Amino acid sequence: MNKKTYSIPIGPVHPSLKEPMTFNFEIYGERIEKVNLAPGDNHRGIEFMGRQRNPIQIIYLAERICGICSAAHPFAFCQAVENAAGIEVPERAQYIRVIIAELERIHSHILWAGVAAHELGFDSVLYLSWRAREEVLDLLEYLTGNRINYGIFMIGGVRRDISEEQLPRIRETLEYYKDIYGKIEDIFLNDPTIAFRTKNVGVLTKEDALHLCAVGPTTRASGIKKDVRQDQPYSAYADLNVEAITPDVFSGEVNGDVYDRIIVRLLELVQSIQIIEQCLDNMPSGEIIAEKKLVKLLNQLKKAKGEGVGRVEAPRGECIHYVKLNESELPEVWKARAPTYNNLMTWVPMLIDQQIADIPIVIASIDPCIACMDRVTILNKNNGQKSMLTKKDLHELSVQKTRRITP
Amino acid sequence: MTSISLFEILVKIIGAIVIAFLGVVIGLFYKGIDRKLAARMQARVGPPIRQPFMDFFKLMIKENIVPQNAVPWIFNGAPIMALVSSITILLYLPVGNISPLLSGYGDIVLIIYLLTLPAIGMVVGGFASGSPYASVGAQREMVMMMSYELPLVTVVVAFGWKLSQVYPHLNIFSLTVINAHPIWELVGPLGFIGAILLFITLAAVTPGELSKVPFDAPEAETELAGGILVEYSGRNLALFGLADAVKIIVMTSLTVALFFPYNISHLLALSGAFALIVDTLFFLVKIFLVMFVEVTFIRVAVARLKIDQVSFAYWVPVSIIGFLGLMLIVLDTIIV
Amino acid sequence: MEYMTPEKIVELFKEKFNGSIINSKIEIKTAGLKKNNYSLIWIEIEVKDFKEAVNLLCTIQFPHFSIISDNDIGEEIKLTYHFSLYYGEKSQEISLNLATSLPKNNLKILSITDLIPGAQISEREIKEMLGVTIEGLPDLSNIFLPKDFPKDVYPLRKDETGAVKMVNKEEEVKKVE
Repeated sequence: MNKKTYSIPIGPVHPSLKEPMTFNFEIYGERIEKVNLAPGDNHRGIEFMGRQRNPIQIIYLAERICGICSAAHPFAFCQAVENAAGIEVPERAQYIRVIIAELERIHSHILWAGVAAHELGFDSVLYLSWRAREEVLDLLEYLTGNRINYGIFMIGGVRRDISEEQLPRIRETLEYYKDIYGKIEDIFLNDPTIAFRTKNVGVLTKEDALHLCAVGPTTRASGIKKDVRQDQPYSAYADLNVEAITPDVFSGEVNGDVYDRIIVRLLELVQSIQIIEQCLDNMPSGEIIAEKKLVKLLNQLKKAKGEGVGRVEAPRGECIHYVKLNESELPEVWKARAPTYNNLMTWVPMLIDQQIADIPIVIASIDPCIACMDRVTILNKNNGQKSMLTKKDLHELSVQKTRRITP
Repeated sequence: MTSISLFEILVKIIGAIVIAFLGVVIGLFYKGIDRKLAARMQARVGPPIRQPFMDFFKLMIKENIVPQNAVPWIFNGAPIMALVSSITILLYLPVGNISPLLSGYGDIVLIIYLLTLPAIGMVVGGFASGSPYASVGAQREMVMMMSYELPLVTVVVAFGWKLSQVYPHLNIFSLTVINAHPIWELVGPLGFIGAILLFITLAAVTPGELSKVPFDAPEAETELAGGILVEYSGRNLALFGLADAVKIIVMTSLTVALFFPYNISHLLALSGAFALIVDTLFFLVKIFLVMFVEVTFIRVAVARLKIDQVSFAYWVPVSIIGFLGLMLIVLDTIIV
Repeated sequence: MEYMTPEKIVELFKEKFNGSIINSKIEIKTAGLKKNNYSLIWIEIEVKDFKEAVNLLCTIQFPHFSIISDNDIGEEIKLTYHFSLYYGEKSQEISLNLATSLPKNNLKILSITDLIPGAQISEREIKEMLGVTIEGLPDLSNIFLPKDFPKDVYPLRKDETGAVKMVNKEEEVKKVE
């Protein structure tokens, strides 16, 4: 039979994508025959920028790789630098780091749950779950001073302590989430329309997950027990008993579909609450940073030589930073890898043979965080030529605009 | 029918204009209430109730863009077709005690034909826009039209058949007749259950007819970025918005006319102009309640279905419920 | 599953690629109050045996591939492939960092995508960011850089082909039409 396919572009800007990314689909009827990925619409050259800054400046740059993983990236980066320079982090700081990272996981997973519901056309759940997310954002603001981009990580420790008076507020929020969790689980796992749209949709087999080196909830939902917090416990996780969560804990079977990814994320919410409670109970006293004076720390880093890897289990999966210091102000190499980088390839086996209607939820199901370079393209209408706006042009245009509004 | 005088024609024309105007205004107003209520159920503040009016006026002053690939006359004609056909149906629907303006010129079978016209208008507009999203949306709309037609017709046939058994001499498909003889009074206990099943069937068809969640696959914002409407802007989009608002009134009025044609004026012992006003207000309350159940509530409570699931839902469960309702009504009549 | 100690893994590599191992070290790190430790292996190997080394790695356990990090050190480009082994069990994972250096006049390395398909994106990134030819890589379009990015600029290099030009004097750079 002669099949006539047509192509549908999704992105760079599309309501189902929260960040720019291009997909080209070959569609036959409503079925997807071929997927072409074209990332890079949002490549900002962060690594290039980082290699021209000193390590302390990079912390803040790393924090802005992604607005949602704003604890995971600086966490991984600080670990990499500490490993490279041989700095020991005080135990109390390790615990505070874990608490912040887990609070971030709660906020990220609830955010994801809301986005997933929106992709399914279930807007009520989006609004209700995002309201539940406010609570943890408020707590993060209370603890760190910022709702996102917390600015609490520093090489050798953290910048703010969690005081005795702050504990009741944290416990209150944890109680709130324990309370509300039942409702969230009920909506996502028992609602028939959500089950209709997510069961057996976007299946990633265990083999594909393994071969494509998927990370995080994406790989765990396919039945691979892989979680950096469990495999190679860093920071305070080494004292805690963290186990990778696979969907069979809940449903007794592993399908690797979108539904399983929902299960994994929801169960991780509970796990995060437990981890934070354990941390609060066992938190040692003592210093929160190895070197308080930043000038001294910078000098120490200037003299350091060595390479280090920092690995962190971000909400989306393993986040790895590699730093090489070579007795100079700037690090010789800084390589950052966000979890979505590895999960990118898993979209292809997930999307083939699905329907157009499944595209948004399957794309969302790995919780993409497309953090990647520069410039604006404009199409010259007169001769149809593509031209780029350079930094100089952009600067000139903005000067003109400013003059226009303020004469 | 006797010969029609010029005066009568004039009355009909003025009546049509008044009804069209009222239909649009009430439709937009109800859309505002629907949005507000949905927002409240989703723990949001929501837009002010006059928002659909503001949207309409804003869109009317915006540029009307016709894409390069589009067929301009079809592209521009489709929204007008959708709006006019929705308004035409209004002229056939009874409001409270007032019989429809065009009663005697057509019946519920005509209404079912007319109901497909706004949908066809959207399909034609979608295919004419020359965008892959709109084409996919239009295909889906066609599939959906074919799907919900069967249960809808089942409901109407059940009514007609029952009426023909009880009042063989009347024009059984006339809405005036259906309005005057509520189904609940004609049937026994079995038929009563049947009528409830028929109501459920119609309640399931309504969101499909109006392209609301869970049956909004043709417009699916997150997949098709608005689907059929993706290329529409300015005036044309405003007209589609009006057509949508009028369609809400049409579908809810249809439900009211078929299932809840009761009036309260005789209970309050009113007559004349007062009765008219009270019944009209009561009618507005009834369509509001129906809208709340069939549109607002369902819309906030479920996720969107895929088009094959929509098609399955209409062809199998909803149709079975409809047929069951029909059979129960038939059984009821035969046994009694 | 039987776990090899980090020392054994290094020994295994040394045995197989006796001449090609430039240097190797094992790092032990501790974390938390209980000072539980985990280990990292750093191995530097000559490029001719690199693919075989990855192959050997695959026989131990299918490794988790994280990323390739790059380092332009004047005459050579040093690539470090970050793997991890023995995931799935508590505190058993070993990070294995396999490094190799490519001379600038012969920037060629064999693709490992036939062994580990997940490495494709990282290899393509290395290709466009540093101009390393990856032999046997199937898909050759730009992945992060724009489609019309100049062919002779490699943003992560530190020599004259780097992106410094792009940042300051962009009008001098010739674009691909």
